[in-house]
Amino acid sequence: MTTDAHSETPGTPLLSVRSIEKSFPGVRALSGVSFDAARGEVHALLGENGAGKSTLIKIVSGVFPPDRGEVLVDGKPVDLARPDDARRAGIATIYQELLLFPELTVAENIFMGHAPRAGLGRIDWRAMHEKTNALLASLEIHDLQADRVVGSLSVGNRQRVEILRALSQDARILIMDEPTAALTEYDVTRLFDIVRKLKARGVAVIYISHRLDEIFAIADRVTVLRDGAHVATKRVADTDAAELVQLMVGRRIESLFPKITVPIGKPVLEVKDLERRPLTRSVSLTVRAGEIVGLAGLVGSGRSELAQTIFGVTPADSGEIRIAGRKVDIRSPAQARSLGLAYVPEDRGTQGLVRPMSVRENFSLAALGKVAFGGFIDRGAERKLADDGVKRFAVKTSSLEQIAGKLSGGNQQKIVLGKWLANEPKLLILDEPTRGIDVGAKAEIHRLMGELAAQGLAILMISSELPEVLGMSDRVLVMREGRIVAEFSREEATQETIGAAMMGSHDNAEKAA
Amino acid sequence: MSEIPLPQTAKRVVPWWLLRHETMLAVILLLALIVLGGLNSRFLTLDNLLNQGRLTTEVGLIALPMTFIIITGGIDLSVGSIVGLCAILLGYSWKNFGFPLPLAICFSLLVGAAAGLLNGIVITRVKVPPLIMTIATLALYRGLAEGISQARSVRGYPEWFYFIGQENLFGVPAQLWLLLIAIVVSAIVLDRTTFGRTLYAIGNNETAARFSGLPVDRVKLIIYTLSGLMAGLSACVLVSRVTTTRSDMGIGYELDVIAAVVLGGTSIFGGVGTIWGTVVGLAMIQLLKNGLALTGVKGDATIVVIGAVLILSTLVASSLQRRRDGV
Repeated sequence: MTTDAHSETPGTPLLSVRSIEKSFPGVRALSGVSFDAARGEVHALLGENGAGKSTLIKIVSGVFPPDRGEVLVDGKPVDLARPDDARRAGIATIYQELLLFPELTVAENIFMGHAPRAGLGRIDWRAMHEKTNALLASLEIHDLQADRVVGSLSVGNRQRVEILRALSQDARILIMDEPTAALTEYDVTRLFDIVRKLKARGVAVIYISHRLDEIFAIADRVTVLRDGAHVATKRVADTDAAELVQLMVGRRIESLFPKITVPIGKPVLEVKDLERRPLTRSVSLTVRAGEIVGLAGLVGSGRSELAQTIFGVTPADSGEIRIAGRKVDIRSPAQARSLGLAYVPEDRGTQGLVRPMSVRENFSLAALGKVAFGGFIDRGAERKLADDGVKRFAVKTSSLEQIAGKLSGGNQQKIVLGKWLANEPKLLILDEPTRGIDVGAKAEIHRLMGELAAQGLAILMISSELPEVLGMSDRVLVMREGRIVAEFSREEATQETIGAAMMGSHDNAEKAA
Repeated sequence: MSEIPLPQTAKRVVPWWLLRHETMLAVILLLALIVLGGLNSRFLTLDNLLNQGRLTTEVGLIALPMTFIIITGGIDLSVGSIVGLCAILLGYSWKNFGFPLPLAICFSLLVGAAAGLLNGIVITRVKVPPLIMTIATLALYRGLAEGISQARSVRGYPEWFYFIGQENLFGVPAQLWLLLIAIVVSAIVLDRTTFGRTLYAIGNNETAARFSGLPVDRVKLIIYTLSGLMAGLSACVLVSRVTTTRSDMGIGYELDVIAAVVLGGTSIFGGVGTIWGTVVGLAMIQLLKNGLALTGVKGDATIVVIGAVLILSTLVASSLQRRRDGV
């Protein structure tokens, strides 16, 4: 641990959380959770969605007070009634949704609310820029200018701006809530560099992530929460992924990727020379009944765009699509649906789920034709459809009338998936099917995918998680800059071969699909 | 948070707080009726109430499709101007083109629907925000009406035409029957059909509605066309009631209509609202106007009261919603 100017006894942790309890109407969110973080320590918080991580960090960042228990900084209890109190105590939080002003510059964002002042309350722009440059230099960030407008930055760079903002307020405890959820591999590497620099400076980092490999790469210790209770705190060096998963879900997950080998049938989807610029360029691919085809590629390589072109959201300019051998011209999602296509989009909240509507209404949304007669919705049939879905996918909901947006991410994803399966599709396109959901729900979705393929459904799966691609796919296609640049059979596919094709370091003579 | 039991009313199609909002509005309406009735003996008579129903029909007919539109998160500000345009064309085509009156009525309804369709086409194809598009056509349609009429009014319609605007059918003003039928049909469409469900889905999350294969653009075209058509119908009823056609007819209707819809609990941000709420909102505004006028309150003061009621109801609605969201 690094030493610094503070004069407490060396044993005092920088942040200490003691027996926190918190209840909301009807749920006990936290029951006596304790953990601590020392100077220069990266302490990971791990748990399924709904385990209480978010509640815990909201208490530590002063969003709401605990019912019982206390938070100590430098061994002294602090009263965190408001977010401002947390800021004063040196605690800064970087949420999943970055809270920046897209129209303002990097410097303005960093110093929002505490800009250096010249006389008469004017903002001292020169000092602000100098301080920004000093902050940038201190983290060795050279590709970010103080006067760039934040809206024009990549997600990775915006996140750096948030980190700089925290540092500009002299934060000594930095909480990061799933910081890598929206980052590319490269940005993740850079984020880790920054976290290591912060560590060296004596900042305590509370790191929340679903991705176990990240925890092993960056964290010193890990605390596992389950159902609002503290399960264990382990040194990362003393544990392994299997143990953490078991602690997290309270049971053994038999196999994370239960791809069953099933007989592959006739082609369901055949795409030839599909073109929709700029991100779909002369794409050809085939998906057969019972087959899971993984579509790998970097963020921005055109995978989602390809899916949306096939699905008619952004109809193709040219090229050919055949469904079950028949040539079709798909101009709208409604048409794609009637042809037996289903698309579970990447962004659950904005594209998949109608969050303010009930579980029942979401389940029937893509299959209204099945529960309506002459345009009139049969309430009984609709309720049955939703009820079947809830049972089949084990959605944890208090009732069919529950507002879907209030469920956990995993349950929301099951609803989006279920909504499409209610329509009995022939081809299922899954776009990042397990992003941001916990290990238990993830395993369930993987199990479902295996079952569906066994029933003869053709599945095209877009995923940025290579282990998922490798574990679930019969074949892997790799996209780069709008083209399919490589194809691997299950046997040929490895992290290295796919990774190389994604990055473009691969030999271009590789057979294109 | 998924384990929180919801109140019983959540078993209904609409969120419970909205039901609360309508209930609350109905209670206020009832109180206002009692107070105003106590102040003036002429207010709470069947004759007066039926007459108020007659007067509110023109706004009411337009408020129904407006409820649909606002539920999708859109708005139609051109309805008042469409009323003016249709009224003028009704008179003009009868007098100047020599159309028989039934044909003139059909023509004016057709023009109303076409005016609405134009709004819908530009909104869905060119993606112009509804607010901008309908502000533009608010000016455009009114300008057309004034240009065609050349400030001349048309009067002297045949006697049978005044039936719908002035006579009674089974003791109830004839146009009120029209409104009642429109209310029942709209309520059933909104509450029971896939069309109604699509409206809510668009208002709550248009992208997800589109990605779910719902015919978003077609539905929007239909509701804006319907809005124009109902504005045309409203124009016919209005001309029949006041026996004359002028180009300034329907000025300011859009505000009365939107006020009634919003007062009835339909969220201006879309996704939430019912026909019953709109009906209560309509009744509230009309009866407040009438009751206050009968009690001797001057016109300006009446508008102030209505403005205050609107603000109050919005405040209560948003506080109810905040409680629901647990913020």
